[in-house]
Amino acid sequence: MQLPDRIARFVAETYGRLDELSYYDLLGIPPSAAEPQIRSAFYRVSGDLHPDRYHTLADRELKERLETIYARICEGYRVLTVPEKRAAYRQALAVGKKRLTSTEREANAPPSPVDTLKHEEAKKFFRLGMMSLASQDYKGAVMNFNFARTFEPDAAIIKQKLGEAQAALGKPGGQGTK
Amino acid sequence: MSVVGIDLGTTNSAVATVRNGQVVVVPAAHGGYLHPSVVAFSSDGLKYFSREGVARRISDPKNTVYSAKRLIGLPFRSKEVQKAITRLPYELREGNNEQAVFVGPDRTYTIPEVSGLLLGYLRQCAELFLGDTVSSAVITVPANFSDAQRRATIAAGRIAGLDVLRVLNEPTAAALAYGLGQNMSQRIAVYDFGGGTFDITILQVEGDIFEVLATGGDSFLGGDDMDTTLLNMLAELFHARHGLDPRDDHAAQARLLIAAEQVKCHLSSFSEARGELKNIAVGSQGEELALRFQVSRDVFESAIRPLVGRTIETTQAVLASVGLAASQIDEVIMVGGTTRVPMVRTEVERYFGRPPRLDLNPDEVVAWGAAIQAENLAHAGENLDSHAVLLDVTPRALGIAVTGGFAERILDRNVPVPVEQTRIFTTSADNQTTVRIQVCQGESRRFDENVPLGELELGGIPPARRGEASIEVTFRVDTNGILRVRARDAATGAAREAAVNVRGGMSEGEVAQAAERNQPEERLEDTPLLSELEK
Repeated sequence: MQLPDRIARFVAETYGRLDELSYYDLLGIPPSAAEPQIRSAFYRVSGDLHPDRYHTLADRELKERLETIYARICEGYRVLTVPEKRAAYRQALAVGKKRLTSTEREANAPPSPVDTLKHEEAKKFFRLGMMSLASQDYKGAVMNFNFARTFEPDAAIIKQKLGEAQAALGKPGGQGTK
Repeated sequence: MSVVGIDLGTTNSAVATVRNGQVVVVPAAHGGYLHPSVVAFSSDGLKYFSREGVARRISDPKNTVYSAKRLIGLPFRSKEVQKAITRLPYELREGNNEQAVFVGPDRTYTIPEVSGLLLGYLRQCAELFLGDTVSSAVITVPANFSDAQRRATIAAGRIAGLDVLRVLNEPTAAALAYGLGQNMSQRIAVYDFGGGTFDITILQVEGDIFEVLATGGDSFLGGDDMDTTLLNMLAELFHARHGLDPRDDHAAQARLLIAAEQVKCHLSSFSEARGELKNIAVGSQGEELALRFQVSRDVFESAIRPLVGRTIETTQAVLASVGLAASQIDEVIMVGGTTRVPMVRTEVERYFGRPPRLDLNPDEVVAWGAAIQAENLAHAGENLDSHAVLLDVTPRALGIAVTGGFAERILDRNVPVPVEQTRIFTTSADNQTTVRIQVCQGESRRFDENVPLGELELGGIPPARRGEASIEVTFRVDTNGILRVRARDAATGAAREAAVNVRGGMSEGEVAQAAERNQPEERLEDTPLLSELEK
């Protein structure tokens, strides 16, 4: 299928400047709109843009753009129909933010175990081992962890992961899949 | 090529399709429209379904899988699976990636494989009935199914060779079947009490728009629990009579369980059930032990009252979450076989202060809705003027692990889908090249009190001082209720790899392999019972 012209034009005009549009802009309502008006605007826009209506659309990128826009509209509907969130959004708008979202940094994102390793080759094979493990290729994982160990024989994390891979390999049905 | 809607139930399943604008339900092999959700395995690799499958629950309980829906998408060590194991006569064990696998007579089967075999059978029933190939389907799931359970259901569909157009929430499907084309403006409650799960969903229907306002439920509460209650009553009676607990023997337990289900159904129409069960177990002298019993509806009702009470409590909580009172509901739709129990109907009527709608068949209404949505999706774009739009919500909140054992909420539950949230992550050590993010589903502030969904590894971060890298991670829950993750470098805009490894799930490779294996030879061209299917 193809998008109707009207919808295609809307997607083209909206996608690139999604972050410049307020929820009111996206729903096509004034900032003074009361709840029933917000709801009926959301229903109208959903009738036009809901991804289900374009399930057979072959152009994946266009589909993805449409879904991104529609997800933002859903977000707006949610924010504007929950009184506390709407109040917070009013304040956000006053300082020029078009979207109510928290974007603080997660300063504490834990490192992956690979960063505890020092040797580059050990890191490389450890990473390959982790990838094998994730795809449930336990034979490959055992092999890669063994390689990693030759470069850093004392690293506890390699021993631990090697043990996990060996245990999985020994389990019924735990043969390497690749 | 036809598309179908499949209500893949705990106890029974139903299949429907739209033909010439009308919904048609695919008849079951032995009459009626419900296909028992049972797969019986034999050592020569043959599989048995329908009535043959049910019969094998008694003759070969160790090799006959039922209630697979209670296990799908759950890790072996989850408390749900561990609890189920104590009651199921077939053997489960831990397989790859923490999955629960069934130990069959010929080999082990993952749960999506078992469900995939059942879906393959249902597909074949539909193909024989329709005289057409069936390539794609909408499969329904309980509204509170987690991400992992939804993924596992899709895997099952793919193993059956189906393109799964959507996993659709059962109550939303029921609402669609009820309200489509009625041009109504109503607030409705869908009370869905099935074999293994209970769901309550509140929807606003405005013409073609179906908006889910709130949903909630209990994935471990269903008609099966009533059967178990009755089974225990019968077993104690038997024990008192013969000094032997039939629950210690799988075959005896299976016989009693099937009898219990019949007693339950009988008590839906009559005030008393009495009879004699012959040959339940063998006594110490080799004699056959029978049980004469008599159960009144009153006794049964007082035994199940706590179960029904739990559904009303859940209903109350869900209504309260959207600030509604029971009196503000215009119509109550009953879904699932368990709503045939008279006490369920009277309690629902009492709570809502109005009689529930009984004109829709509670066993078929979900498959109806699934068939309508399958047609909608498969033919999207052909008929843009009249098209139902389902505005569904996230089944559960989504969070990530932060320091101190806490979960930080990323997405709330009951928010319209698709929905997305973007977070910026940075490194906590110098030269850190990957970031590991643990994702969970649930409402608790403590990470461990939620359901761990899996881990997300973001790689390829250029080495830098701690805190300097900045990776934008977007969590999106799509219209299937499934999490998708995208990541990009905030500075350069370059996409980063981001894959969620779901605990207890099958890998892509395993699904493809199982689908391959399930292809021609294990599809049941020559199962005799299919010949009895009337076109």
